Amino acid sequence: MEKFDAIVVGSGACGGWATMALSQEGMRVLLLEAGSSVSPAHDFHHRWPYELPFRGRGKPGLLQKYFKGSTEYNYRIMIDDRENPYTTPADKPFRWSRSRVLGGRTLHWSRATDRMSDFEFKAASRDGYGDNWPIEYADISPYYDRVESFIGVSAAAAGLPQFPDGKFLPPMNLSCAETMFDAACKKIGFPATPRRVAQLTTMLNNRPPCHYCGNCINGCDVGAMFNTVAVTLPPALRTQNVTVRCDSVVSHVLMNGENKARGVAYIERFSKTPVEVEARVVILAGSALENTRLMLHSQKGGLANSSGVLGHYVMDQISGAGVTGFLPVLKGAAIRNDDGKAGGLYIANFNNLKERHADYIRGYGMSASGGAAMFPDFSLDLPGFGSSYKKEVKRLYPARARVWMSGGEMLARRENFVEIDPEVKDAWGIPALRISVTHGDNDRKLYADFFERAKELFLAAGGEITEATPRLAMPGSLIHEVGSCRMGDDPKTSVLDSFCRTHDIGNLYVFGGGAFVTTGDKHPTLTMMALTARGCDQLLDRARRGEV
Amino acid sequence: MTRRDLMTVASLLPAWGATAQTSYQPAFLSAAEFGVLETFTEILIPSDETPGAREARVAQYIDFVLNNAGEYASEVQRDWRKALDWLMAANFGSLSAAEKLALVEQMASPKHGGFATFRLIKQMTVFAFYTSKAGLIDNLEYKGNAYLTEFPGCAHPEHRKV
Repeated sequence: MEKFDAIVVGSGACGGWATMALSQEGMRVLLLEAGSSVSPAHDFHHRWPYELPFRGRGKPGLLQKYFKGSTEYNYRIMIDDRENPYTTPADKPFRWSRSRVLGGRTLHWSRATDRMSDFEFKAASRDGYGDNWPIEYADISPYYDRVESFIGVSAAAAGLPQFPDGKFLPPMNLSCAETMFDAACKKIGFPATPRRVAQLTTMLNNRPPCHYCGNCINGCDVGAMFNTVAVTLPPALRTQNVTVRCDSVVSHVLMNGENKARGVAYIERFSKTPVEVEARVVILAGSALENTRLMLHSQKGGLANSSGVLGHYVMDQISGAGVTGFLPVLKGAAIRNDDGKAGGLYIANFNNLKERHADYIRGYGMSASGGAAMFPDFSLDLPGFGSSYKKEVKRLYPARARVWMSGGEMLARRENFVEIDPEVKDAWGIPALRISVTHGDNDRKLYADFFERAKELFLAAGGEITEATPRLAMPGSLIHEVGSCRMGDDPKTSVLDSFCRTHDIGNLYVFGGGAFVTTGDKHPTLTMMALTARGCDQLLDRARRGEV
Repeated sequence: MTRRDLMTVASLLPAWGATAQTSYQPAFLSAAEFGVLETFTEILIPSDETPGAREARVAQYIDFVLNNAGEYASEVQRDWRKALDWLMAANFGSLSAAEKLALVEQMASPKHGGFATFRLIKQMTVFAFYTSKAGLIDNLEYKGNAYLTEFPGCAHPEHRKV
């Protein structure tokens, strides 16, 4: 039997970081990835719609049915639902967007890189709902520094207590539409700043700056945006302490008789051969719900589940329809490169900070952007035809603008949970996950308030609104699914301690969004990575003391 | 003579006659249906100062998509079969140019019996045109998907005042 110091399951943002951090301190690490390997230089290119057989839509029906949310450009770095099914009750639809590929969702993420604040970590103390996190901002701030400095974050310091500043590279310039929204925010008192993104604006650690092609969600060809393959994996591999095994579908955690994890079992993706590997430490770093699925399935009643909360308190940040229309000042303007940086203007949460909102608790962030995009989406529904129609599309093309919900806090509720489906199994015979998550009253009221504020901002920028129909998106839609393996100080009410180690099993760590106690209103990835960096520090300390 | 001049000259010629413009052999549609579709798309997105559906080969793209819809989206083939049957029943192919234009005008009204057909063809035509090089580059002058050393940003003082 092969034996390693640590096994890391999953190669996304957290798995990549853990592999790097542990291998650099001399640990021999096995990194297991369920999907295939990928080479950005070889696999990612700038593409035009007319170079693809179906212009980005894929073979009719294929992507809608089996690769939800992906396009002909990028479905190979997403997931095939035929091999990887999940179920929900009929009245509780949930959209679960995953990736099985080396680098996971870092290959096509939106790159938003936000710090959470004590307004979020200690929200329960302020409004009395739910639980505080077991950490506060001061505990995680040094790890935010470390992660930001290494991955590279372009941003502007904003001096907002609810949206802490960090170690930033220069921000990207604002487009015309974003400049107008920024001016409107100043006028009506919304706290706006250029979207903070893990995209380089200067050379960093031998990585080139962004070249503004706008292809981020199809995979970055040069590694200017943070992803595992370009950023955390190369230094890990240079230590020569790392073994990477792709196409290895982990089925369960192996235990010994002394309540310790002794390794994992995986199935070779194509041959379907079962394999067991051992290590002193097991780290689950797949997506939040995949980690929980493994733990629920590894042992009757769930692994490390003496608290009974494993699988509960699932959340996804709230999103939904925003406000769309045109900025009349830009109608007929010369066409500019507006979608090259694929970012926007970010409006940090401004609700429930000093005064309590009458309708709901917690908050949300908004985004605004506009300009000429690769496809003029409004053209499909613009009435008319002929030469006059063509001219009108061209005139409106640079003036298109929208305000959308960047992410709102969905309250943590125990009754939102995941369990093992009693019947459905994936292509390797591993039981599928059954997801039962719905929005609550506070979630709906928070969204309703966002919608009014979005209209206010759009009109303040001088915009003409063409589409404004409120519609809360189904849970999972923002792809910020977190919780189900929450952290806390009390082993009776939480699965993980504040270092992401399970209370019950001393050598089992779970990195990722599963640990989140609340969603907060910021994008989750930076916090997930900072928690991983903090957990790895503690693990290395324990290893030096001979405790693992 | 520039390319644009050529376009202007081209636009003065009869843009959508009764005959098919290419020797493309349709895979899903019959030759007659394809000719009707080609003409219809060229009325929707005509070739004028800039290229239109003809240069973008919109009808060929639609036929290609329909021919590939059988496996996962047979409903798409069904909808288009209905639309083409409607046009053939209206004898679209044998109308004069002026009559064709008049019929398309009528079909564009949501109250007209041919509106579903109009809408289906228009949505696909518009998508196919603006995802073609003729539509995206020659018509819309899209500037993205390029290598830049710096994102240009807004340089208009007037945009800072709203």
